[in-house]
Amino acid sequence: MKEFLKQINEFEYVLPKESRKGMNVDARIIGNKTIIKDLEDEAVHQLSNVAMLPGIIEPAWAMPDMHFGYGLPMGAVAAFREKDGIISSGMTGFDINCGINLIKTNLTFNELKPRLNELNQLLFKNIPCGVGSKGKLKLTDKQLNEVLVSGVNWAVENGYGTKDDIKNTEENGCMEGADPSKVSETAKKRGKPQLGTLGAGNHFLELQKVSNIFDEKTAKKFGIDNTNQVTIMLHCGSRGLGHEIASDYLKIHEKAAEKYKITLPDKQLACAPINSKEGQDYFAAMKAAVNYSFTNRLIMTHWIRETFETIFKKSWEELEMKTVYGIAHNICKKENYKGKEIYIHRKGATRSMPDKPVLIAGSMGTASYILKGTEKAEKTFYSSCHGAGRAMSRHQAIRSFKGNEIKRILESQGKSVCSTSPVVLAEEAPEAYKDIEEVIGSVHGAGISTKVVKVVPVGIIKG
Amino acid sequence: MSFKIVEDLTSDVMFQVESKTLKGLFEDSAKALSSIICKTNKVKPKKSKNIEIKAKNLEELMFRWLQKLIATVDIEEMFFSKFEIKEISEKNLKAKIYGEEIQPELGETVVKAVTNYKFKVWKEKDKYKANITLDI
Repeated sequence: MKEFLKQINEFEYVLPKESRKGMNVDARIIGNKTIIKDLEDEAVHQLSNVAMLPGIIEPAWAMPDMHFGYGLPMGAVAAFREKDGIISSGMTGFDINCGINLIKTNLTFNELKPRLNELNQLLFKNIPCGVGSKGKLKLTDKQLNEVLVSGVNWAVENGYGTKDDIKNTEENGCMEGADPSKVSETAKKRGKPQLGTLGAGNHFLELQKVSNIFDEKTAKKFGIDNTNQVTIMLHCGSRGLGHEIASDYLKIHEKAAEKYKITLPDKQLACAPINSKEGQDYFAAMKAAVNYSFTNRLIMTHWIRETFETIFKKSWEELEMKTVYGIAHNICKKENYKGKEIYIHRKGATRSMPDKPVLIAGSMGTASYILKGTEKAEKTFYSSCHGAGRAMSRHQAIRSFKGNEIKRILESQGKSVCSTSPVVLAEEAPEAYKDIEEVIGSVHGAGISTKVVKVVPVGIIKG
Repeated sequence: MSFKIVEDLTSDVMFQVESKTLKGLFEDSAKALSSIICKTNKVKPKKSKNIEIKAKNLEELMFRWLQKLIATVDIEEMFFSKFEIKEISEKNLKAKIYGEEIQPELGETVVKAVTNYKFKVWKEKDKYKANITLDI
């Protein structure tokens, strides 16, 4: 399908709806020449599938980190009219509210450096991570339901975090309307032991140092005022609870698509009309997973703060360890857009509201970015990219790279690395990802979010 | 054991299984799934769990079987390495699965779910075959 792409400007391409029979709207891609050259044809095909769904608002978007995904590409944004649009468990994906929390400190890298290994190893011990990582919390069924409904408010009421953390989280860390009765018992059983766990795969905890400040005024507003300042990035999601909710509703939405006579270009885009029981039940269950995930990240933030206190013998308040922002990048939300209520699916895409932080995770050995949202992002339904985006399958990465060798290289660069096994390091090798600079250069160039701060990893924890 | 990992997907992993019997197909599919989650050769069969699945057809039975195994890892906080199908037809199965409590160093990767991508279970000549994709 790539041959149908037409360049609009340096950073934007269009796939006209005439390119393929059945497309209701154009699809557009943010990306520079390098990004477009390396795009997988199948990912573009998946984007054209999204453009075929009923009630979609023009255009279907893909961000420069796009790659082949489940049903639709990762790095996709699709908005639907409330009246005749759909909501899709397939489009939100299996890791509901996978996202990022960024915490600042007042430490400089020079102050951190002598304690780096010790700190990283203690964090690795204190933050449960790895496959089937066991949480430290023993929740009752009632408490789990409270988390699903109240999100980070539950965490703060129970001593994990502060009101300031709530304020600095997308949706204030709680989507209203979550309904635990729409969540299966299996999903709850999977989620109960896992609250406060990082998981594995591409999820990580990173100690970082600021390497560049591009927009001093905004950086200062976000709490970053010097290069070498230490930040902490936490990337994870809703664990088994979210995976099970997605699986449960995929089955329900497959049947719903048949029932409501929705033609699916791909069965994986299973969906239901927004105004249907199947649609709204999913929305209420998905919100429960969103709230769980926001809470998960805040609880781990609390343990990160405690770990810093142990190492530096100062309170986290003295270390000024404030949440810069917490953001989701796999989510469906009802948002007011140009005066109308619409449903926006962001799959591997981040909300980009004017002047708000947009957090972008790079690959393990490279860099991550703090961007700010812009008015120009109105055209992308106030959305931007979410990361570097995979360029190689996980399995191929495992076969191509040796985890121990990657660890040695990272450590020779002065980085501290902890992981449950070398395999996960191979799986997440920097070479398995696109070049973060090309991705960021594209969203910055397109103006849908602009560079504020670049951070580089100094301590890496992988599950 | 007869399965092979296919590697053409950026965010998923696909494997293909074949066996002369349904019992073999389901046991090997479980082994393939489990080998992606953990180091199965190091997981000892210390404890067992009984599993029973009912479905409308063979494909749904396979889907539910693997999905149940993924959920059981989270719920029981166990890794599994041995799978015995006790009874099987195209619409139901009874199985006993063996493993031990999770030890993080035996973990490989989180499998989020079985997906519909090229998911297929079929019989070809004298063999049962399955094509299975996992979101990881």
